[in-house]
Amino acid sequence: MHHEWGWLAAIYLFLGGLGSGALAYAALFELTGRRYEGERCPDICPVTLVGATTSGPLVAVGVILLIFELGAGLRDPLRIPLMYTHASSVMTWGVWLLTLFIPVAFLYGLLEIMHVYPNVQDWTIRRVGALRHLSLKRVKRIVAAVGGVLALSVATYTGVLISAVGPAVPFWSTPLLPFLPLPTLPVLFLISALSTGEALTVDLAATILTRGQAPRGRREHFIHLGLITGEAVLVGQLLAHAFLEGGAAATSARDILVGPHSVVFWVFIMVLAFAVPFVGHVYAAGRGRHQPSTGLVSGVSLIISGLFLRYLIIVSGIHAFL
Amino acid sequence: MTEKDVSRRHFMGLALAGGVTAGLGVKLARLSESEQNQQLAQVTKAKYALVIDTTKCTGCKACVEACNLRNDLPEGQSYIHGRVKGDEHLTWFLMVQCQHCANPPCATVCPTDVTYVRDDGVVLIDEERCVGCKYCVYACPYDARVFDEERGVADKCWLCLDWVLAGGEPACVQACIPGARTFGRLDDPDSEVSRLIASGRAKRLHPDFGTDPGVLAYVIDDPVESE
Repeated sequence: MHHEWGWLAAIYLFLGGLGSGALAYAALFELTGRRYEGERCPDICPVTLVGATTSGPLVAVGVILLIFELGAGLRDPLRIPLMYTHASSVMTWGVWLLTLFIPVAFLYGLLEIMHVYPNVQDWTIRRVGALRHLSLKRVKRIVAAVGGVLALSVATYTGVLISAVGPAVPFWSTPLLPFLPLPTLPVLFLISALSTGEALTVDLAATILTRGQAPRGRREHFIHLGLITGEAVLVGQLLAHAFLEGGAAATSARDILVGPHSVVFWVFIMVLAFAVPFVGHVYAAGRGRHQPSTGLVSGVSLIISGLFLRYLIIVSGIHAFL
Repeated sequence: MTEKDVSRRHFMGLALAGGVTAGLGVKLARLSESEQNQQLAQVTKAKYALVIDTTKCTGCKACVEACNLRNDLPEGQSYIHGRVKGDEHLTWFLMVQCQHCANPPCATVCPTDVTYVRDDGVVLIDEERCVGCKYCVYACPYDARVFDEERGVADKCWLCLDWVLAGGEPACVQACIPGARTFGRLDDPDSEVSRLIASGRAKRLHPDFGTDPGVLAYVIDDPVESE
């Protein structure tokens, strides 16, 4: 009896990507100083507020789903610490990364809330007196920098986890370039994570929380157009290489383009991940800011397609031997 | 392997392998897996091989039934799975189980270091460490890891090692009606498995996977498949 990864795996890989992407975006705004340039800043910046506060919970929910998928580990939780011990396993690396990422993400969220709501800051300082001597802004910058690096690692890890099964499912380890034994999926999932992270923080949060008065600036839209284009190029080369490799990988690619997964591919990836947000961002770049409609449509379609991208990759993986 | 499971397996081993093996079997059951490994490594420097001749296999699945009985596997679960190969001119059966790779990907990906390769080439699992993440089930290119829902662990063929160490043969070999399965010692150049492998008649399955299958080899006479 062969077990298959399905929706549950797609959901936790997606949550890992969305949460880490959101934090990466918040950290980018914090570290470049963009967080303090908005119209209502330096008090409230929706990108950093939403990015920092949602990343920890999103990734934590993903980890809880992952734990509930365990067999004996769920019945005997004392075995779970053993997962930190086997350095050759990429899952062990992931367990370490997530253990570091989640507390840093929650801390970043707390610091951002303290920054935005002074009464929370006062309340916290009253209880932990030592905080009085620390500069909130400086601490927040350090946490954002550490969290940003961890976020990029977590986002990449979601792809490494799938591609590391190696020859068992050739499609998942399709190389990035011919003759380069570096898999495509870690890079694809990293770019997709940043794209969904920007969809949540810039497209949705910065459009909705400012009641349509999204901050001006073309930079985010150009970055996002770059991410969408990069993702499209990577999906294209993944399929092309899978065809070149032949065997099970080529069957996976055929299933995606014209076979049983073609509806998911053409509707949820080609239209929702590429066409719709591309047009939305070109329009927003032209106007200098998102309209409520372009922000909402781009954000929602990118987040939905981010989940379907992971689902598509997982269900189209064909075992080399079956 | 749980204690209950070890004793159950060894009890069955004792019952079937006879009085000669009784002493060793009881000794095995009292020891942990690592202690067994150390002690038995001193007893023997053997390397084992199991050759499956697909030109003799009739696909009767007696091996599957024997294995299921031997290991008390639940309905629908098996350490051996069969595939029908060939075309309209030639139909043959490929029975696949753990290949006992020297470089097993199921061991590399395991976060809790459950799977290990013994000196004699047999790949075993330390079931008490398994969290049931199923990563090995996905990573095995031979699709030979089996997830046991009841116990929540990823199990596999263990080559009936208690019988083997007592001088016997795995259940699948004993049960094979057409005599397609040959078990023996690879460190003995005169054994039939050594001759089959040395002559090139028996080949490792999919060496291109890079896992260096250590114990199993196949005699395949299909011009399409025997590349």
